[in-house]
Amino acid sequence: MKMPYEKPIVTKLQTGWMNKYGRTFAYARKVRTEIDGVGIDDLVGQFGSPLFVYSERTLRRLYRQMHSAFSTRYPNVVFGWSYKTNYLGAICALMHQLGSWAEVVSAMEYQKARALGVPGEKIVFNGPHKPRAALERAVAEGATINVDHLDEIYDLEKVSLQLGRPIHIGLRLNLDAGIYPQWSRFGFNLESGQALEAAKRIKNGGKLRVHGLHCHLGTYLMETAPYQRQVEKLVGFATDLERTFGFALEYLDLGGGFPSKSRLKGVYLPPEVALPSMDEYAETIAQALSKTLPPGEFPRLILEAGRALVDEAGYLIATVGAAKRLADGTRAYVVDAGVNLLFTSYWYKFNIELDREVGGMNEHSVVYGPLCMNIDALDEGVALPPLARGTRLILSPVGAYNQTQSMQFIEYRPAAVLVGERGQVDVIREAEDLSDITRRERVPTRFASPPQTGP
Amino acid sequence: MMQKLSRLAVSAEGFVFNPASGDSFQVSATGLRVLNALREGQAEDQIAHSLAETYQVELEDARRDVAEFCAALKSFGLTS
Amino acid sequence: MRPLKIGLSGINAVDNPGPGIGVARSLKEDPDLQVQVVGLAYDAMEPGLFMDWVVDKSFIMPYPSGGGDAFLERLLYIQQHYGLDCVIPNLDAELPHYIKWARTLADRSIQTFLPSMEQFRLRGKDRLVEIADRIELALPETRAVTNLEGLVQAIDDLELPVMVKGSYYKAHRCHTLPEALTRYHELVAEWGYPVIVQEVVSGDELNVVGLGDGAGHHLGLVGIKKLSVTAQGKIWTGVTVRNEAVLEAADRFVRAYQWRGPFEFECMVQGDRVNLIEVNPRFPAWSYFATGVGVNLPARLVRHLFGMPLPALPEYEAGKLFIRYTYELVTDMASFQKAITRGEVP
Repeated sequence: MKMPYEKPIVTKLQTGWMNKYGRTFAYARKVRTEIDGVGIDDLVGQFGSPLFVYSERTLRRLYRQMHSAFSTRYPNVVFGWSYKTNYLGAICALMHQLGSWAEVVSAMEYQKARALGVPGEKIVFNGPHKPRAALERAVAEGATINVDHLDEIYDLEKVSLQLGRPIHIGLRLNLDAGIYPQWSRFGFNLESGQALEAAKRIKNGGKLRVHGLHCHLGTYLMETAPYQRQVEKLVGFATDLERTFGFALEYLDLGGGFPSKSRLKGVYLPPEVALPSMDEYAETIAQALSKTLPPGEFPRLILEAGRALVDEAGYLIATVGAAKRLADGTRAYVVDAGVNLLFTSYWYKFNIELDREVGGMNEHSVVYGPLCMNIDALDEGVALPPLARGTRLILSPVGAYNQTQSMQFIEYRPAAVLVGERGQVDVIREAEDLSDITRRERVPTRFASPPQTGP
Repeated sequence: MMQKLSRLAVSAEGFVFNPASGDSFQVSATGLRVLNALREGQAEDQIAHSLAETYQVELEDARRDVAEFCAALKSFGLTS
Repeated sequence: MRPLKIGLSGINAVDNPGPGIGVARSLKEDPDLQVQVVGLAYDAMEPGLFMDWVVDKSFIMPYPSGGGDAFLERLLYIQQHYGLDCVIPNLDAELPHYIKWARTLADRSIQTFLPSMEQFRLRGKDRLVEIADRIELALPETRAVTNLEGLVQAIDDLELPVMVKGSYYKAHRCHTLPEALTRYHELVAEWGYPVIVQEVVSGDELNVVGLGDGAGHHLGLVGIKKLSVTAQGKIWTGVTVRNEAVLEAADRFVRAYQWRGPFEFECMVQGDRVNLIEVNPRFPAWSYFATGVGVNLPARLVRHLFGMPLPALPEYEAGKLFIRYTYELVTDMASFQKAITRGEVP
């Protein structure tokens, strides 16, 4: 019987790196042979590599946890599924089945939500660019519209004139909740009086009614306190609106920004240590609401949940295509998925798990994607044992903002599958082929003849 | 190749010290086997064969790994 | 009674020393405490690994930031194979991990004596204003900035020179805008946002090392002044001081937050005005200074934690000197080799 093999390795010992475990030992040596009971080998064998894999069980669990965190503390909670986070039809449909509304930020997303059967009154329409036609449709279908700027107010007043009836709108505000950087490019600024000025303008126009307030503080907020300040300021502003203009508050949309257990680069602590729990966020928000709202009043609380619901449910399986040694001796791997599929790797450091036990010493390694570009690195420093060609890497969490931002640059986009609760696997997006790249192209006929061989 | 390699202090646990440069290195279990074989003057191909006979590895893969190991030794200045 | 096996990290007694060796020496110097010191190192060249008269046994640890499992497994391995009754973590980066796992470790009979996560988060420099308000200390004017515009604005407001600080670690006094820009970029690269820009307050920098019992009482406080520091700002010589305003402030801090565990309290004193500069939730690297003047805080921590008799709190004298010096150790490669290949010494 022959002995198990591991590659022969020699590494130079360098001060600061003399730790037999390597710097990211635990991630590097985690083995994942399956996702919700379905083998990595089976998945790749059937659907190819790279492959996006989503876990229905995790999606449902995260939804349940977050929903119960808020709904047990406040009686009137609505989740608006943030389409831009991941608008794969199957994921959206599941979120809607669980009870989420759609939160969309463009005409395309609006159309997608409608195409999935979401009625207009269960769509929250946000974003800085809402073309006139999209606004008209949203108004006609009863969507919740959060206005970003004055020009949108002018547009909506014209729509109101057209329809001959007043339109209810929400105002998007930006405010100082003590977080950095403050997102000031969206909506009307509260502290400078811009928001109040807009409300006055709306009142004077006589065509629109403000019935909701919206504010999205930022993304991946690692503290609960900003939400408290946000609620206090929004409710304070709502009170002013009611007193001064008679606009009654029907909903408060606090946006999203709830983090997932993804590891943000530039943040020193790992997420499981650095982040408050969803219950802590919910507690802070519910307490702030109960302190500031008049007793017995429970305006609809809209939360634009995205990352926190889907990120941890998404995996990307990639395959090692080559191992090389860089000029300075660093070990490098080329895998079949790069920043073309994992755009967020610019900001996040993913967990990298292996599909098998690999013996041997960890080496400081770089993982490159397949693009013929210098920037295409998934991880510039991870301790990995010597990996053979064909080893699969399972990167996670990648469910948020990767699928929707993936691009076709020099590679096809891969299939995406959903592993169901009973282990069934459904393709929710087919792998692309050349027809997806060329379908919209037109080659003028004068170029149509292929190059001739020979003189 | 031999001359430089023979000067190295190599422990049974895979710790390697180069007295000429003051650098220390670590080799994996198979790496130690390959290094010792090189020190004994065995040819790369011979070493690959012996790996393939002892371990669960194809000869072709073993050849590639030994070649890469030798390249690494060279890049660290342990062979000329 | 069998000796207590106490794990401690930060045995990197280098030019920017970790607190471990000072803590270890303190434990060894309590005549009634039987202690075996277990060094927890992150690099095979940490001097403590070779100082067998202070550290009885050392283990190389996986980095806690790599994820919890490997780190916990390693601690349990040490407990099983050598014994581990208690861990005193001394490095900033590992504290939140130990705090998070404190209960898990206690369930496995490995004790710690640490602040809560909520207390730990107070050390963020953007949270200092909260502490200063609560214990009625002044705070140098402070701005948290996240972009160059903000940095330039802050410098305009506060006027040069300013302190430019990472949100948790590192501080630089900057006299020119280019200097501030350079430090800003360094800090962002290393510690992320925000970067803290702070007014430079003049006066005497006085520091306190203390230990809170978690119920609002302190188990010892010693105040010092740094007489000279290294290029990295680390104490080289110092003197004990008894400044009642500062000691009382440290006491108020312990009472107000029911602080549990060791801490370092940094102030800038200008007449009657005491400015709060920083709170570190661990032993400082100069902890042995307090032991040397009779207030052995590491030993008191262990005694308190294990319910052993706690001697009456001794008064310390002002005017005792602390002289750090260099010393060399020549040894063969055996220990280093063991640290590399086996991950433990000896």
